[in-house]
Amino acid sequence: MELVIQSIINGLIQGGFFALFAVGLVLIFGVMGVVNFAHGELVMIGAYTIWLVHAQYGFPYLPTLLLAIVLVMGIGLLMERFLFRPTRSDPLAGLICSIGVLFILQVVATLIGGDGPSKQVPPPLDGTLVVLEFIRIPYQRLFGLGVSALALLTLWYFLTRTRLGWALRAVALDREAAALQGININVISFIAIGVGAGLAGLAGGLMAPLTNINPHMGHNVIITAFIVTIVGGVGSLSGAVYAAIIYALFHTFVTVYLGGTVATICGLILMVLVLIVRPTGIMGVRVSE
Amino acid sequence: MGFTRRDILRASVAGAFATGATALPTQLLAANKTVKIGMNIPMTGDYAPWGLPGLYGCEIVANNINTAGGVKIGGDTYNIEMVAYDHGYDTEKAVQGYKKLVLQDEVKMVMMLGGSTVASVLPWAQRRKMLTTTLLPSDITPESEYLVATCESHPLYNVTGVEYLKAKYPDAKTAAIVTNNDAEYGLQSAATYKAAFEVAGIDVVDVNLHGFDITDFAPIVSSVLAKNPDIFCMATSFYVTPLMEQLYHQGFKGKIISCTLDYYDEIIAKTSREFVDGTIFQFPDFDDPALNDPGVNFPNPGDFDAKYRAAHPNDWSAVSWEYPAILLNWLEGAKAAASVDPTAVLKALRSAKNPEFVFGGGQWWGSQLWGLDNAVVGRWPVVVVENGKARIQEYRSVSGWLEKNKDVLIKHMKELGLRTV
Repeated sequence: MELVIQSIINGLIQGGFFALFAVGLVLIFGVMGVVNFAHGELVMIGAYTIWLVHAQYGFPYLPTLLLAIVLVMGIGLLMERFLFRPTRSDPLAGLICSIGVLFILQVVATLIGGDGPSKQVPPPLDGTLVVLEFIRIPYQRLFGLGVSALALLTLWYFLTRTRLGWALRAVALDREAAALQGININVISFIAIGVGAGLAGLAGGLMAPLTNINPHMGHNVIITAFIVTIVGGVGSLSGAVYAAIIYALFHTFVTVYLGGTVATICGLILMVLVLIVRPTGIMGVRVSE
Repeated sequence: MGFTRRDILRASVAGAFATGATALPTQLLAANKTVKIGMNIPMTGDYAPWGLPGLYGCEIVANNINTAGGVKIGGDTYNIEMVAYDHGYDTEKAVQGYKKLVLQDEVKMVMMLGGSTVASVLPWAQRRKMLTTTLLPSDITPESEYLVATCESHPLYNVTGVEYLKAKYPDAKTAAIVTNNDAEYGLQSAATYKAAFEVAGIDVVDVNLHGFDITDFAPIVSSVLAKNPDIFCMATSFYVTPLMEQLYHQGFKGKIISCTLDYYDEIIAKTSREFVDGTIFQFPDFDDPALNDPGVNFPNPGDFDAKYRAAHPNDWSAVSWEYPAILLNWLEGAKAAASVDPTAVLKALRSAKNPEFVFGGGQWWGSQLWGLDNAVVGRWPVVVVENGKARIQEYRSVSGWLEKNKDVLIKHMKELGLRTV
């Protein structure tokens, strides 16, 4: 029983991180129709910012976390303005551009930090919360879970309670119809990628003290994000959040009871099963031509 | 009466001759030949920590030799020039790099990390009769005559850590092994640890294998700790830091043994000095006084360590001294052969009954496991973190352990599906 409870907590914490970067990917895809292959590298840049500015230069963690969000958001905005907007009529061109950005960001990270060992960031919050003598949660992971939840709640509020959020969802549903209603597609695309990239920067910044940081860490992130997106339903933000939590719990329990290797295989099988049984994903809707 | 233009010219010419005459002996001294040694290693990517630090170490050793006037091999004096190629642990690039080093740079030996990159170059290396070295003796096959492992015998040396642990902590009865699931590093090491634990009478309660895509080690550590092992064993080094961090947070109180503990100062920063103290592993810092042991075949390790850390303060890893040790092995072979020719050097190296192994006590071994005695095994240090600093506790004999227990090792290698003869 102790292991089950500990595993649920571990899964929820992991699910929070998964949701942050998967929701960003879905947002960008939904509004702009671009599969952003560089999304994992945006997470990596967020983590590198923490390593460089906080761990190397001693700048406090929280302001550095904000800096990571702003920096990655800035990269996202540049991508939208100079890559995705000019290629908007051709989704394949946008995808290829994002692969180009992926490599560029990896090289930038290598130039900044070298390509030696993975970078490590000492956790700004030391210590472990012990509950009932057997549940142990490091404060840093607890902080990550809290911030993830807060960020997702804020996004939910923004999308469902503000005019800008409604406009964003309208563009995601039908870009042309939204444009006919007077919604500025350029502005909405700018906001979508800004929010999506900002969430990726936040995810990277939160994960930095908990994982190995290297220029190639985005690979695992993007694979997880794709699995979560497909399981949740491509284009569905709420589906991405549910799928992130379900996938994280699933992955955690399989890791605990069957091993890490099996968990990786099972994660991919889960994705394939969803594609076969329910191609629209958990929350996706079938759209007729 | 002043100098004419012609006087000045005459004086200049005379001066130039005089200068040339005095400089002549120095120039003659400097006219050493150059022998190039190749390194076909990962300098970028995930495996870079097991490549680049080795190049840095070799450059220090080569520079020491060159500034001391070179090395006398046969009738000639040579300077050493290191030529490196970054294959990024990609097999195709490894083949390209190997051919470039041999054909274009005309190196006399190629040092490599091991694994699939070595396998990819082996057929060509064999045909070319090029002396090649690996840190993974499991790369050796019955046909790989020109491939030798003269320094690191990964992962055979791990048996010494387990022997030490058993002797020091006899109450530790159960162990759990965690490692990545690749056949080159992880499974080889897991099989060796399993064999060593069996010989030591320690029950292995879990062998937890994971892939390279793991980003969160909390579930793995929770799963392992649920089996209450007295010993937590990390068989390879890719994820030692996050594993140690999780062990710390999940309150593990038992003994920790690891193949490597690279960048242990970072682990201390993420956990605590008290937690990391007592961790047993296999790779010493080279400022360790125990390396002044007369059996150690590495000249002035303290000076090497100081120079290395001054030039590359954040890049010390297990391989920092291993490739240099192989370079020193090659020098001994070349001196004995009185030649830099790869075949002659290999013959000289292989004819040494007691090769100059870095920690002493070396002997050629490997035919029982891989089909050819092309790996050198000998003494290996057991290192423990004490007050936040890695310190050698003792040297133990890998060859002695293998002599008595090789069948147990072969059994566990086979159990994990690994190649043996």
